[in-house]
Amino acid sequence: MARLGMVIDLRRCIGCNACTLACKQENGTPEDVHYARVITREVGTYPATKRTFLPVLCNHCEDAPCAQACPSGATWIRDDGIVMVDRNKCIGCRACAVACPYMNRHFIERGLLENGYSTDGLSPYEAVKFAEFEEGTMTKCTLCAHRVDAGLQPACVITCPTDARIFGDWDDPQGKLQKLVDERGGWSLLPECKTKPKVYYLDE
Amino acid sequence: MTTQSIAIAKHRFGFGYYRQLYWNWLIGSAFFLGGIGGATFLLSLITGFRPGMILGYLVVVVGKNTAHLSFLGRPERFWRAAMRPDRSWIARGIWATGLFAVSGFVCLLPQGRLAGWAIPAVILSAAHVVAMVSAFFIMFYDGFVMNSSPAIAFWHSKMLPLLILMYASLGGTTISLTLRELFAGEDPATALLSQAEHVLLVVNFLLLAGYLIRMSRWTPAARETVRLLIRGPYARVFLGLVIAVGLLATFLLSIVQNVVGVPWLVVLIALCELTGDFALVMVLLKSGLFSPQSPPARQALQVLHRPSEVRERLTEPSALME
Repeated sequence: MARLGMVIDLRRCIGCNACTLACKQENGTPEDVHYARVITREVGTYPATKRTFLPVLCNHCEDAPCAQACPSGATWIRDDGIVMVDRNKCIGCRACAVACPYMNRHFIERGLLENGYSTDGLSPYEAVKFAEFEEGTMTKCTLCAHRVDAGLQPACVITCPTDARIFGDWDDPQGKLQKLVDERGGWSLLPECKTKPKVYYLDE
Repeated sequence: MTTQSIAIAKHRFGFGYYRQLYWNWLIGSAFFLGGIGGATFLLSLITGFRPGMILGYLVVVVGKNTAHLSFLGRPERFWRAAMRPDRSWIARGIWATGLFAVSGFVCLLPQGRLAGWAIPAVILSAAHVVAMVSAFFIMFYDGFVMNSSPAIAFWHSKMLPLLILMYASLGGTTISLTLRELFAGEDPATALLSQAEHVLLVVNFLLLAGYLIRMSRWTPAARETVRLLIRGPYARVFLGLVIAVGLLATFLLSIVQNVVGVPWLVVLIALCELTGDFALVMVLLKSGLFSPQSPPARQALQVLHRPSEVRERLTEPSALME
């Protein structure tokens, strides 16, 4: 049994959004649906200002409030800890979206799959990828489960040019995740929500 | 943006509070109709007032369910919402609504007969009990649906289900009272409901004030919601419709009604109260905020108030590495 997760080293992140694009390319998500994104913030007061970057994705929480809130059982957790959505069971009530403190649930609105990023219908790529979505249902980051099952790493991890994202198994005592957090200390987002996220951050 | 305040983010790539945009007026309508319909049915069942039972039943079974179905992304799969009552308040609500639809229908049968068949007294009694329990559940379970979300601090309070229950009680009392004054005239139950309405108006005002005070001492996101309600973009709806129209005007008009006894005034009172009731559900939904996502070290910078302090702190290389 594994507990797959990720550590994101903020000292390495340069806010290039390569993860955002890699995720979109890998999963072919429709417009305005971003499983991975980078929250950009300006801190300080002129002239002492600074931009900070916080890459976010589904935290694949152990106590996932989205799974608790889902009335239909569409949200489920795999044995390796990846939180999934079964689109065939989803009724589109959006209770999971309201329950997720990290805003990492996405609703496929009516008509969203009819047009791609260009104005004249779907591209061949979008036609293939959009078939994996269903209007009126929720979708979310799967930690690239299809890649993980094939022994690969998530697209956002392999694409990151600075190796800021480290993917692994929290249950592996010799693994990189536990080692990094032990060495540098790590924190998760919104710990007050008590969701037990499996994505941790290392300080800048 | 400075470090002194956190604004509402305009998009998901920005930093700040995020508005709750998932649940809209259809969910608000469903919550509102469930509350007042369940309460109207329950009060009418207790006082043996058939027109109220019929109206309450229709409001829940037709009104609330239509709003819910209209909201769902895949309404044809609505039955799946009942699959996980062990963990989801929505699923529990679906079960309660289903039980209410059946048991309430039995309660409404004239002389307890269906197509000439006299329903046994045991079944009728059981249907009455189930209808009362399920109607009561429908009145407040929306509060638990909202309260179970840890994401929105303003909802994540044990007081919310109580507030929802008391507002549903007030709405049901107002509707029952209006129907009785229009169709049944003065009787002991009408007088009792009139007194109950006054008490509930005062209780709801105090409860609402208590809720806001508690939230203003809660997390930053909850405090920001209180600010939005009192001084922000929702102040007009909250102070104008929820407080002034829904509570104060209703209270004053009901006192006037008790003195002068004008029949049409009861309709105006009901309109005022129900407007405030609906407005409350809507502002609760609309003003919900998700907390900003930021590193703990960044949050520490927000407590600095003077720009010089920020500058001093940030120009130290060690501070930038925190």
